[in-house]
Amino acid sequence: MDVRAQIVMVFNLDKCIGCHTCSISCKNIWTDRKGAEYMWWNNVETKPGVGYPRQWEDQERFKGGWVVDGKKLKLKAMGKGPTLANMFFQPNMPKVEDYYEPFDFDYGNLAGAKEAKDQPVAEAFSQISGKKIEEIQGGPNWDDDLSGSQLYAANDLNLKDKKVIESYDSMFMQYLPRICNHCLNPACVASCPSRALYKRGEDGIVLVDQEVCKGWRFCTSACPYKKVYFNWNTGKAEKCIFCYPRVETGQCNACAHSCVGRIRYVGVLLYDADAVEGAALKGDTELVDAHRDVILDPRDPEVCRQARENGISDQWLDAAAASPVYALVKELRIALPLHPEFRTLPMAYYIPSLSPVLSTWGDTHKLLEHGMIPALETLRVPIGYLASLLSGGNEGVIEEVLKKLIAVRVQMRAENLGLPADPALLQEAGLDEAAAKRLYRLFTVAGYHERNVIPPQQREEDDPQRRKQEAGFGILKKTRGGGK
Amino acid sequence: MLNSFIFIALPYTALALLLLVTPYRFLSNRLTWTAYSTQFLERKVLYWGINPWHYGILPILLAHIVGFAFPGAFKGLLGNPETLVGVESVLFGLGAFAVLGVVLLLLRRVNSAMLKRVTFTSDWLILYLLLFQAGTGIYIGYVLRWGSQWYLHTAVPYLWSIVSFQPQIEYVADLPLVFKLHAACAFLIVAVLPFTKLVHMLYLPVDFLKDPPLLYRWRSK
Repeated sequence: MDVRAQIVMVFNLDKCIGCHTCSISCKNIWTDRKGAEYMWWNNVETKPGVGYPRQWEDQERFKGGWVVDGKKLKLKAMGKGPTLANMFFQPNMPKVEDYYEPFDFDYGNLAGAKEAKDQPVAEAFSQISGKKIEEIQGGPNWDDDLSGSQLYAANDLNLKDKKVIESYDSMFMQYLPRICNHCLNPACVASCPSRALYKRGEDGIVLVDQEVCKGWRFCTSACPYKKVYFNWNTGKAEKCIFCYPRVETGQCNACAHSCVGRIRYVGVLLYDADAVEGAALKGDTELVDAHRDVILDPRDPEVCRQARENGISDQWLDAAAASPVYALVKELRIALPLHPEFRTLPMAYYIPSLSPVLSTWGDTHKLLEHGMIPALETLRVPIGYLASLLSGGNEGVIEEVLKKLIAVRVQMRAENLGLPADPALLQEAGLDEAAAKRLYRLFTVAGYHERNVIPPQQREEDDPQRRKQEAGFGILKKTRGGGK
Repeated sequence: MLNSFIFIALPYTALALLLLVTPYRFLSNRLTWTAYSTQFLERKVLYWGINPWHYGILPILLAHIVGFAFPGAFKGLLGNPETLVGVESVLFGLGAFAVLGVVLLLLRRVNSAMLKRVTFTSDWLILYLLLFQAGTGIYIGYVLRWGSQWYLHTAVPYLWSIVSFQPQIEYVADLPLVFKLHAACAFLIVAVLPFTKLVHMLYLPVDFLKDPPLLYRWRSK
């Protein structure tokens, strides 16, 4: 057992209202620069939909993530030899059209236009070529809310039965906010010939060393989530940095901090680094369980002992024990990894959304099973769809989670109305009253410090002499690649 | 005069720039150390330009370097006329391939609007230099036949005299003008290398071949 810690985010899809506030706060802080205009380290997409970049989930096209080859893992795209042979032209790299041509508007024209009969307009121009754009062809959330559109939603790879979105009364929609998953088995890191990408040992954040990156571009397609972007101005790769300058000082990430729906939870998970590869080798439908098995119990004394041995501070262990992420992912087993079948062991987790409580008028009677809360079988979002997104196709995992969500609602509704609750429903879902209360609290009234338990990194306590020697001159930095 | 300039002044200037500016840039401005790929913005023409260019020029560059490093071995090897014809034909084909590639890369910069803002003077400079270099190269290969053999008896001893700081330009002083231009352009390319994106060729990804797939960095270890 090799105990390590990571700061992890959980998204409650039930509460996401698709307002894009997270994307905007991220953009304003990190990617409002030349060459980074099209980068959305945090983006929100509508599901069903094609996402951003378009069709990012299609690994036959972009060749991202890992595949199992016999008893070994290998990058889906190519091995090391072909990597060297494809350095000049990277065949799987997404092109600007897969994202969109970033644009801005010529506001100067509003004030500077000559006097004429018509009102002046601010025309769109390309932020790459500087040329006027007659008709904008795409944007970061181009299919926002268009779940019923055959143009976009029908191209969602997770949607096996396209008929679902053709009929108004079976249509459904939900939002999917995405950041870099800071995976345990990051394919971007493995694909980099310069070794510019690395995972930080202390907190698991995956970063690109801008001084080492030579712009070979393999990471952009190796990441199955398409969360490594190529800066066309600097010629180097960039990605979500999990707001490490904030997180290191115990502050919450900008996206989570600004979240209007308070759908995000940030906290520490302890994991067993020795178990990572074995977990990634499991079959598609066993991946979620394997994923959970990699995560360790922060209250287990043996885990704590080994964690301390690995240099994890008591402050971090306390944070791990109080972590809302641990509660949601492992204890209550309600948050799931996005597309675990890409085998990168993503460390961002999603609580699947329940379908709309009210159906069309004609079907309302069907929904009365638990008061106004629908039964699992009558849910509008196909379970297969959620399974394709969040459990590698394992519908049982999704059913378990949805049962819990339903049971918590029925329980709390009964409690609020002073009605007798049915304890069997909770029991069947694998919860008890305390767990239901805990979930209810996390989903509703939990405050900032309950939703986000972030221990500061205490860099100043860490080997001060060494830090002093490293400070000041960039050229005195530690050599790359050192350590574990 | 021209000989002294091309064969003494130029190579030493180029060498000095390479040896001084490269480490300076590495230490002071590594953020610009990249291949500045434009594949993201334009990939259709790039595919037909960048692959022929690199796959053409790399073996030729390598041939120049190993010929310089081990002239004795190659003198014997190329003494066999059949081997010589084979080597010459292959290198000529690769050279033509490289010229085609660099022409496409140049035209691509001219024609694509998307590339306007990522194309700088240095990009034009190196494209023209490389075109000239590859062009004179295949011209020499065709007109002044058996270059792979006479290179070993002229340019190689001259280059050795340069690196041993006892320049003996008589080895190359009487060669045709096109050869002198080819040499001059080579020194120019070496001279501009540390200032341009050509620095990308000074980095060979070898760590990557032996490293385990995942790379961790620890603050304290």
